[in-house]
Amino acid sequence: MHQIMVIEDDPVIQEELSVLLKSNGYEVILPKGFFNIISEIQKSPPHLILLDINLPVQDGFKICSEIRTFSNVPIIFVTSRNTDMDELNSIMLGGDDFITKPYNTSILLARIASLLKRTYASEHAEVMTFGEVTLHLGNSKIEHQGNSVELTKNELKIMAFLFRNAGKIVPRADLVEYLWDSQLYVDDNALSVNITRIREKLKQIGVTDFIQTKHRQGYLI
Amino acid sequence: MRYKEYLKDQLPAIVTHILSMLFCVVFLSAIDMQASILLILLVFWILIAASYIHIRFFLRKRYFAELLLQLERLDKKYLISEVMEHPILTEDKIYYHLLKAANKSMMEQVSESKRERKEYKEYIEQWIHDVKTPISAMKLICENNKSDTTRKLMAEMEKVSHYTDQALYYARSENVEKDYLIKEVLLSEMIHATVAENKQMLLQNHVSVEVKNCDYTVYTDEKWIGFILNQLIANTVKYSEKEPQIIFEADSKQGQILLMLRDNGIGILESDLPRIFEKGFTGENGRIGKSSTGIGLFLCKRLCEKLGIGIAVKSKPGQGTTVELYFPKGDFVKVQE
Repeated sequence: MHQIMVIEDDPVIQEELSVLLKSNGYEVILPKGFFNIISEIQKSPPHLILLDINLPVQDGFKICSEIRTFSNVPIIFVTSRNTDMDELNSIMLGGDDFITKPYNTSILLARIASLLKRTYASEHAEVMTFGEVTLHLGNSKIEHQGNSVELTKNELKIMAFLFRNAGKIVPRADLVEYLWDSQLYVDDNALSVNITRIREKLKQIGVTDFIQTKHRQGYLI
Repeated sequence: MRYKEYLKDQLPAIVTHILSMLFCVVFLSAIDMQASILLILLVFWILIAASYIHIRFFLRKRYFAELLLQLERLDKKYLISEVMEHPILTEDKIYYHLLKAANKSMMEQVSESKRERKEYKEYIEQWIHDVKTPISAMKLICENNKSDTTRKLMAEMEKVSHYTDQALYYARSENVEKDYLIKEVLLSEMIHATVAENKQMLLQNHVSVEVKNCDYTVYTDEKWIGFILNQLIANTVKYSEKEPQIIFEADSKQGQILLMLRDNGIGILESDLPRIFEKGFTGENGRIGKSSTGIGLFLCKRLCEKLGIGIAVKSKPGQGTTVELYFPKGDFVKVQE
């Protein structure tokens, strides 16, 4: 599990950001105060740092350039200052990315994920299994007892989200939002159509009643 | 300065001369002076007095003509008192000092207003940066506690952050040149980011989004272009009809990249079209109850001009609107790399 350090002086944002990151499968480290940030990073190096620019004691630029003297850990600047001087400074001092408040969480999460992927070899499972059904993310296929069928981009993403939340009811709104975050702009009607198609494809490989519809709640596998 | 007007001004002097002449004639006749001598005296008197008045006219005329010419050559007319020569005549001196004093007080007023404006602008920018922190916090709280209510809140929050951005860019749009960073940007990436920023608003309004063939790179400032796209998306949602739709499509045309943003909204009246980029113009669509400020498109146009992007709008009522953005290819940027 990747550890992310959140250096932020607004307590509400710090807390909510931690909740968000934890619910997306990251471990969060919060610095104790703003005086010994550098030594804390040296002691337990995180995999990625979210860094605000306006901070008490030392500003984010200073912290960033100090970190760069001993570590190449990816750093994302998260700030409400958005002049181009700030952006330029952040790049010059070794920041890897620059996101301005009020950021969109899906953008933030996507940038974190891509930066982690670029820096550390991907540890993502290419294959997901639930029951006797296996989903192959690499070649976009779903398999059951040796029979497999190809899925479209939309269908694959839907199945991936259902597999990830196996055993839980997935609300339609969550599913649609997840697809939008993956840049697939599927509306409510199209989602129903996609689910129907997936069920047909599952039938072809001998799986029935794999996806249950929970009335007014969502889908469940 | 006309001769007639000048003579009118000289009337008291002329009357004085005539009165003096009359007095002399009466007095000298009384002491039996010869008429011929009297005549010579009068002729010379009139000659000298007339030539004085006449010559003075030309001198004054030349003096003022030079002043007027100087004024005309000046870019900032109010600086005339700074560049004009010091007058010699007492009367001119008084006017000169009047002019200087009036100018000085005006300059003080102007610089005071300028300073106040600058301070206000700085305050607005600071305020916007400050308000972004609680907006981010609210967004995160909603994100962490998802329900129908928080989704609605998030859609509203998107509007709030959009309005604050508008205020920020309005404050800054005067000097874009001090605040931009031209980078290589992938159009599709920029579009996806903007859609993500407006996700809840689009979902709540059931807008279907399509991104076609947008894998072109352009050289521009990401932040400003993001603002423009945000504004255009917000308009699409605001002026939508049933089953709203936005289509982004790009094309390479005559050395330019063309990005089209097509919607199927209520459209714009033909008579309104030429004026939509004017500041404060709301048009027919503004009158029929959509809360319109007339600032959004004005800012888009202004930013596009500063970034060298062409912007054009095609629309018909009931048939939707297409906004076209023309990005220059910018080969010179490539050469520098």
